[in-house]
Amino acid sequence: MQTLASREDARPIAIPQAEPQPDAAFLRLRGLTKRYESGFIAVDNLDLDLPKGKLLGLLGPSGCGKTTTLRMIAGLASVTDGEILIGGDDVARRAPHKRDIGLVFQSYALFPHMTVAENIAFGLDMRGVSRQEARARVEEALEMVRLPGYGSRKPKEMSGGQQQRVALARALVIRPRILLLDEPLSNLDAKLRDDMRIEIREIQKRLSITTVFVTHDQVEALTMCDVVGVMAGGRLAQLGTPSEIYEKPASLFVAEFVGRANVIDCEIVGRDQARIGDQVYRSDTKGLSGGKAKAAIRPHRISLTPDRDRALVSNATNSARGRIARITYIGDIVQYEVEINGAMLKVEVPTASAGHGFGADDMLLCEWKPQDMLVFGS
Amino acid sequence: MSAITHMPTSIAPPATAPRRRFPLIIVLLLVPMAVVNLAAFVLPVLRLGQISFLESRSGGVLTDVYTFGNYLDFFTDSFNFGLVINSLWISFTVTVATLICAYPIALFLHRVSPVWRNTLFVITVSPLLVSSVVRTYGWMVLLGDQGLINGSLLSMGLISEPVRLINNTLGVFIGLVEILIPYMALALIAGFGKLDQSLEEAAASLGANAFTRFRRIVFPLTLPGVALGCLLCFVLAISSFITPKLLGGGRVFLLATEIFDQAIIQLEWPRAAATSVIVLIIFGFALAVYSRVVRRFD
Repeated sequence: MQTLASREDARPIAIPQAEPQPDAAFLRLRGLTKRYESGFIAVDNLDLDLPKGKLLGLLGPSGCGKTTTLRMIAGLASVTDGEILIGGDDVARRAPHKRDIGLVFQSYALFPHMTVAENIAFGLDMRGVSRQEARARVEEALEMVRLPGYGSRKPKEMSGGQQQRVALARALVIRPRILLLDEPLSNLDAKLRDDMRIEIREIQKRLSITTVFVTHDQVEALTMCDVVGVMAGGRLAQLGTPSEIYEKPASLFVAEFVGRANVIDCEIVGRDQARIGDQVYRSDTKGLSGGKAKAAIRPHRISLTPDRDRALVSNATNSARGRIARITYIGDIVQYEVEINGAMLKVEVPTASAGHGFGADDMLLCEWKPQDMLVFGS
Repeated sequence: MSAITHMPTSIAPPATAPRRRFPLIIVLLLVPMAVVNLAAFVLPVLRLGQISFLESRSGGVLTDVYTFGNYLDFFTDSFNFGLVINSLWISFTVTVATLICAYPIALFLHRVSPVWRNTLFVITVSPLLVSSVVRTYGWMVLLGDQGLINGSLLSMGLISEPVRLINNTLGVFIGLVEILIPYMALALIAGFGKLDQSLEEAAASLGANAFTRFRRIVFPLTLPGVALGCLLCFVLAISSFITPKLLGGGRVFLLATEIFDQAIIQLEWPRAAATSVIVLIIFGFALAVYSRVVRRFD
């Protein structure tokens, strides 16, 4: 598990603003719906715009409809209703082999009876590319995925990471209009996954190919994508840049699913105030109105101050006095569970700065800024 | 299986003891089957080979005189040459027809949802529960001149006189194909392991239409199953004699029916044995072709 702190550091990529301008959108989903005969609605009236050359990550728990959405774009699942526009053409009812789409499967789906070169050349063959040109393009594709000279191998003679690269080369060599990646990294071990993440992103940027990436891994979604669509129950819970999704989650579901959060019952008592127990805290969440609600606070956005330094705490922040119930050492971070007003608050502090010498049952102050207190009405 | 669970005891033998390749328990477990095979298969085949070189006197009495005469007779008689060609040809066409009939069934069973798969699978192999003699008689009822098919066609006025569907090669062909379909389907399904839906989907996304997907992906990946099914059906077809006997009506001459006639009617055991050995050699060739095909796809 990567820590929240290091994830923040691992995002130096400048995130391009993905303001959906109707004219710039290359991939457009309009009211896309998938209803099974059983009546189950896997994808419910999905609207989405993706500008050319951008990488969209569809993130969600299993069964949220993200893979079904991808399969509908690829033409592998039939569309019950709606449109799939690629560069202006509605392909929703077009057979998969006429869509010009590059697809990478979780299982790679390399043809076991063909060599690597034959696998990559397959799509070119289907397009009637001459032998000579195909050979050059296969070699070029192998170089792009850093596997030059591997053309004569059989897929089963290669490692998982290498097979993954071959699958990527096979999908890209046909110069598809859109690249679809279905959980491409989930069969790789952790170390390789980090490398492939960077590699896929670099290739995607270099080719500037419009890409849809399905994942259940928030780290992949946040680190690789220009735009992240969080899905739940067949609907888009939120669409935004990684930082928008993380900093300004549109719902409690998004706040809990992307990153970790303390979720505490509270009551809204003012335009910017919520009460937990008998204490009132300030929140920057806009548009609060009375009633029961839930507050979400990220564990690493809470800082701890020893009880004796109470006087130093600024009035601009929220603070709660509590008692440490449990301390868990996780290597790069230390997790404290602090009891405040009957609620349990998880607090994560980098090990390097956790030298306060807090012990179990110590009294201390938890502080968090109003902007880090996300309040969601119920 | 139980032998395998005993394996770990032999994995770390005492350092001084020489490492044995097979633990005693495995050898012991193999003994009963080996004895049965020896007594019921190997010895009879050897005896068959021996008899094929014996001279016989009239009335089927065996002598102890060894001779190549039975084989010489076989190869000098042009009737026998026709028998071999006829048997090979019928077995070959029956195998191909069985493959064409069983392949779609097997492919469907491979793809159908697991809820239905077991039920449909049992239905597919259920003909095996009925003996092939009974099924052959069933075909005689259906295919005869007064049978269901001719009767229907006649009463509908589509034909003016019965079509010959029985007592000829066509009848043998129809009967054998139907009898062998379950075996072929079983072998095909067993060999479809490498076929994965996502491979076809990958091919589709790369621009392959349904026909190309079948030709370039599905069929090549099912070849091990096809080879196994063809071997099995070819061997079963060439060695079947009840169906050719009954549906051929004594007009279709094959190696298997000839062996039966030589052994049971003419009581010429040495000749029957020599013909049997020749059939065994044909099996050997079929097996060699099979292992060559399979090795290519391993």
